[in-house]
Amino acid sequence: MIIKVNKYKTFIATGGQVFDPKKPTVVFVPGSGLDHRCWALQSRWFAFHGYSVFAPDFPGHSLSEGDPLVSIEEMGIWLVEALDVAGVDSIHLVGHSMGFLIALESAVLLKGRLKTLTAVASATSIPVNEYLITTAESSTSSAADLMLRWGFGSHAQLGVSAVPGMQPIAIGRQIMSDNPLATDLKACHNYSAGKSIAERVDCPSNVILADEDKMTPSKFGMELASILNAKVSKIKNSGHMLPMESPKRTLDSIKSFITEHTN
Amino acid sequence: MGKSSFLGPETIALHSGYQPDPLYGSRAAPIYQTTSYVFDTVDEGASLFNIEKGGHIYSRITNPTVAILEQRIAALEGGSGAVCTASGMSALYVAFITLCSAGDHIVSATQIYGSTATLLRHTLKRFDIECTFVSINDEDALQGAIQKNTKLVFCESIGNPGLEVSDLPAISKIAHDNGIPVVVDATFATPSLCKPIEHGVDIVVHSVTKWMGGHGVAIGGVIVDGGSFDWGKSAKHPTLTEPYEPFHGISFWEEYGPSAFVMRIRAESMRDLGPSMSPHTAFLLLQGIETLNLRMRRHVENAKQLTQWLLKQELVRWVNHPDLPENSTHSIAERLFPNGAGSMLCFGVEGGREGGSAFLDALVLCSNLANVGDSRTLVLHPASTTHSRLDDETMKSAGISPDLIRVSAGIESVEDIIQDFKVGLKAVGRLVK
Repeated sequence: MIIKVNKYKTFIATGGQVFDPKKPTVVFVPGSGLDHRCWALQSRWFAFHGYSVFAPDFPGHSLSEGDPLVSIEEMGIWLVEALDVAGVDSIHLVGHSMGFLIALESAVLLKGRLKTLTAVASATSIPVNEYLITTAESSTSSAADLMLRWGFGSHAQLGVSAVPGMQPIAIGRQIMSDNPLATDLKACHNYSAGKSIAERVDCPSNVILADEDKMTPSKFGMELASILNAKVSKIKNSGHMLPMESPKRTLDSIKSFITEHTN
Repeated sequence: MGKSSFLGPETIALHSGYQPDPLYGSRAAPIYQTTSYVFDTVDEGASLFNIEKGGHIYSRITNPTVAILEQRIAALEGGSGAVCTASGMSALYVAFITLCSAGDHIVSATQIYGSTATLLRHTLKRFDIECTFVSINDEDALQGAIQKNTKLVFCESIGNPGLEVSDLPAISKIAHDNGIPVVVDATFATPSLCKPIEHGVDIVVHSVTKWMGGHGVAIGGVIVDGGSFDWGKSAKHPTLTEPYEPFHGISFWEEYGPSAFVMRIRAESMRDLGPSMSPHTAFLLLQGIETLNLRMRRHVENAKQLTQWLLKQELVRWVNHPDLPENSTHSIAERLFPNGAGSMLCFGVEGGREGGSAFLDALVLCSNLANVGDSRTLVLHPASTTHSRLDDETMKSAGISPDLIRVSAGIESVEDIIQDFKVGLKAVGRLVK
């Protein structure tokens, strides 16, 4: 669906169902350079199992208009504004990598509307290598290449796909190449409030980690889980790009947690 | 561009798409000879049917062995995904009807495989899909042929059998400027010699029966999605951008982006039409692909030596291969095929049609048959076989003369192929004396 946030047309993927703000809503927040398409194999399940799905393309990404936002704090505020426009009240936030940092910022603003919080391959902060940022500034596709080399685990690097016939690395590259990756990476690098915000989160939390994650090694995810007092699950043979790389196991982990915490 | 692997082509050909299975550790890809797959729960089954999850339901739609082949070919071509089909022709048919509906139009190269020409000229016409044929490297002709209802441009990377190389970057630019994708049949080239997606092409189709399999033991096709065409921006392909009622109004473009085209094929053509590849066929083709890069080097080398030998023979009137300066598309071949423009070559002998027949009938080692891309050397007289359904004018525009002998150079010891050709030329000599 298309909604207007701050005058700009904003695309929200709804998992193939008509959006109903009265239902408990699962909000999927993408990582750097990604958009709603990275959640294709998680969002549709929720949309057909009693939830509404709200998977936005942030400003300047994929199908949304506007200039890309330059800080995690701005992105967190923007997400709450978008949820307000859509009239959502009961919210389960799910964020991948940088998307979880955005979710943290939104979490404190949403207060009682937030029912659960899920981190996928994330941490309280995600510093980004300076060379990667410099590369992204001059060539998005070159930076995407670097991230895909590091971001996908050993199985995906060997062309093994959970979805028959697909090549997730090529799909990830195409998505990242279309989006303002450098802006996202800088915002991610500059964000430092994650730990203090996480300490203020009081809703049930879930942390999903990947055992081959080189971009956000799981020890940092474990630290996050400790602060949040979160449920933890670790997915084997997978790298940082969990939603695309291990879509079924990522979905299983998200859905078991959210359904457990849905009235 | 849809770069899908950081591994080298030889490594991809051997490993991509498969890791030893956790149950038995089988190093070779197993043949999953099954029609169907057990659902863990009723809800699991329902989710698979509604494309909420990836996985296998029924082997008409997907199969684990076939999926390994699909992922391997997608990685070799640099695509976002692939679908294997029962044959190269069914791959073309599925690619065309996924983009076109009644009332739509295709622009195609004239120099294409005879059955593809018949599909475009006659079969699709029955379903109100029209085709205009053009000399594909004539940019003005191509631009002029594109209509408001044109949904794709089609060509072969190396035309069959005239061996005209398509200028893929130029063709892609014109197509993209008009908001339409380019579909290329790259059977004669294989990704070992040319990756069309790297040159701007959007969809690549192969008859994997040929060089990809290489052993002449299995029929199959594949469609590879480059993943970079912006179906939403062009808004010319409602099959991908408009709601699809059988799956609760799904929009493949919105939902899947770079894999929209392949997902639509899986959900519609494989499900409703069922041109699926068998797991045993996929297994046989996987064995061939493991050595694709090694074989292609040898194919090209043998073709080069045969070409040079034929050029020196008195009874040979002409020789054609894209690597020869006489070929009208030689400069394009140099640019797109730096390691050689394949192992197909054509030549004509003294005595015209009869001379050609005499040559073929005298051969012992080389096989006269309607196939190409076997490890063994194959020869054919297209005017009386593959292109026999075309009238003289159409045959001429397809680059075929009555005396044309088509050779698919194999990987035998080249001295033995030459020896066999000497026998053939002796028969020609007896005829023309």
